[in-house]
Amino acid sequence: MLEVKHLTKIYEDGTVALRDVSFTVEDGEFLVIIGLSGSGKSTLLRCINRLIEPTEGQIIWNGVDITAADPVQLRQIRRQIGMIFQQFNLVKRSTVLTNVLAGRLGYVNPWASLLHRFPKQDVEMAMRALERVGIADQAHKRADELSGGQQQRVGIARALMQQPKMILADEPVASLDPVLAHSILGYLEQLNQEEGITVLCSLHYLDLVQRYATRVIGLRDGRIVYRGTREDIRRMTDEEFKEIYGEEAVRVSVGPREGGM
Amino acid sequence: MATRTIRKDKQPSRVSPRAAGIASLFIPGLGQILARETRRGLLLFGSIVSIIGLTAWRIYELAHLEPGPLAMLTKAVQRRPVFLIPLLVGIVALWLWSAWDAYQQAHPERRGGGGVFILVIVLFFTLGWQIGEIDLYKLVTELPDAWRPLSQVLWPWPAAIERQEEVLSAGADILVPCDENPPPPPEEVPGQPYLVATPTCGELSTLDENNQIIPGTTLHLVGRGFAPNTETKIWWVDPLGNEFVVRQGGEYIVFETDETGSFEMDLVMPYRLIPPSAAGPQIHRVEARQVVGTGPARPSEPLRISIARMIETIFLGMMATIFGILFSIPISFLAAKNLMSGSPVTLVIYYITRTILNIVRSIEPLIWAIIAVVVVGLGPFAGILALTIHSIAALGKLYSEAIESIDPGPIEAIQATGANRLQTIVYAVIPQMIPPFVSFSIYRWDINVRMSTVIGLVGGGGIGFVLIQYIKLLDYRAAGIAVWFIAITVAILDYVSAEIRQRFV
Repeated sequence: MLEVKHLTKIYEDGTVALRDVSFTVEDGEFLVIIGLSGSGKSTLLRCINRLIEPTEGQIIWNGVDITAADPVQLRQIRRQIGMIFQQFNLVKRSTVLTNVLAGRLGYVNPWASLLHRFPKQDVEMAMRALERVGIADQAHKRADELSGGQQQRVGIARALMQQPKMILADEPVASLDPVLAHSILGYLEQLNQEEGITVLCSLHYLDLVQRYATRVIGLRDGRIVYRGTREDIRRMTDEEFKEIYGEEAVRVSVGPREGGM
Repeated sequence: MATRTIRKDKQPSRVSPRAAGIASLFIPGLGQILARETRRGLLLFGSIVSIIGLTAWRIYELAHLEPGPLAMLTKAVQRRPVFLIPLLVGIVALWLWSAWDAYQQAHPERRGGGGVFILVIVLFFTLGWQIGEIDLYKLVTELPDAWRPLSQVLWPWPAAIERQEEVLSAGADILVPCDENPPPPPEEVPGQPYLVATPTCGELSTLDENNQIIPGTTLHLVGRGFAPNTETKIWWVDPLGNEFVVRQGGEYIVFETDETGSFEMDLVMPYRLIPPSAAGPQIHRVEARQVVGTGPARPSEPLRISIARMIETIFLGMMATIFGILFSIPISFLAAKNLMSGSPVTLVIYYITRTILNIVRSIEPLIWAIIAVVVVGLGPFAGILALTIHSIAALGKLYSEAIESIDPGPIEAIQATGANRLQTIVYAVIPQMIPPFVSFSIYRWDINVRMSTVIGLVGGGGIGFVLIQYIKLLDYRAAGIAVWFIAITVAILDYVSAEIRQRFV
């Protein structure tokens, strides 16, 4: 269980990104965070694995206070939390396989890893992860030779290598073609349902939220302005929608509902 | 200037168009200033003042010996009519145009364009042509004179090989004057060159009281056993041992032997001043000499020196590049703003490093070489020092900019996997830095080898050092060999560096 208590983040330039955000996520949930750009979604996700240091508040995961962890503990926590990014954040010049193996960095002998040496079982695991996302044949290509959808699958494979208990996905489909969006979110849904991995995912399109979320929170100006279940969001009125997205928002529908699994 | 920030709401002119025009007729630009076109007015005023000033200076340079300004003008126009007449007409036209422009600027609706500034540029161009002493006529007429050295530079290869040289000669004694016992012809040794003169005695040419030559005895020379089809010269050796090539009708006697190595010719005995005290019979000697190349062809001295110096040059550039890379990597971290903006102390270090890099980089390697020569003396080490200093500054800046432009995304992603700091650097930072680092380093190597060819001009070693000597000695063929080596090396290097860059980046 992940408990976020009174989380506040104020950047050095005075920007308040999060104001007193509190929520709880049960294990195995697919929590979707919605909100406009700049509403604090990315900051919230990055505070959970402390890529961004929170200013105030607590994050407690399965009884461990992430916000109080020392660097060694923090790395042990981070390796159990996979992360997927809008811009994929692959090392473009490295091979696909190296990018995927980087997911093991928190587990392997650090000195051997500096020489790019990984245990044999890790390499096999990487190949299985690539097979699982359907791009095993691309393993030895450079990451930037792949298409956007393929690069995001590499991102998922990298997260899988961490054998995560939780996945943080920051706008995983915002840079992709709408059709590919279902393919990528389909993998996340599969991991969520089959392996019970908790997923925290920020999304833009309401259609995708309705299709994948088990629970939703809405952020606006760093505050939680909406909490709902999947059913709630299916019944969401335009008023509630505008509460989250502002007056100018319009509903946008996205592609086919079947995932590309 | 708040009045100019929004063009549409420009304030109206302070004066009427006519007044603005007249104002600019007296002081160019004044009318525009009155019409609230201050910058345009100042620009026009400045342009016209500098054009007139520069023209006056050129007139003074052309005719400063004349007594008065008018005489100077007349004389200068006489000397350079093609330059000065259009220029003077142009200045008058510009003055009038600026008045017309002021009239237009002051008009509420009509706003003049940039035509007047095109005239300003044309006038500056005309001045520049004269100040730069551009002379296309000279370029064309003097090209033929330059053709000989130029062709030697362009095709220097005949001087690239040489052979061992050997002098083939044979001579015959001549008695001056004749007596009853003329010397016998020399004995013929088979396989050796042989020369026989008939007769074997005679009188030298002498001068009469009017300094007219009275020809001496004509000798019939027959030569055998020389190298065939080879340039041959006739030498005269007097009893004192002085030798000279014989002239006839003012020309040296130079001819080629036939295909059997023989020749036959008539020679009038040359003029030689015999001091009166040396009276009595004397033995002179006539000789036929050939210079023949024997043995295998071998590289000439300029070729050997050029190759050795070229190797030196390449290594000079390489050493400077390696030192430059080694020193500039740590410095580049200090000059990267994203790494150094953490605290005020590091930010100060950043600004100091940047400033030093900029100063060092703005001083040309040739000047660094002159300084280095003062410190460590002539030779390649001075060149290495100079190029290293410049490379550190140039690479430090390029590397630091590469560090600054790193994508933070992968760093974030690797950190999120639980990687430690060192792993993050190895997996997220270094892969991003390799392509620009390799690219910049090879680019610098390229520059350094090219620079090292000229660094020798100021004593920094390498091929430039011998090139400047050959040029000063007017040895254009040797200089051509050096130039060819430079061109070949630079071309190869260009190709290689492009290949490597393609592989790595």
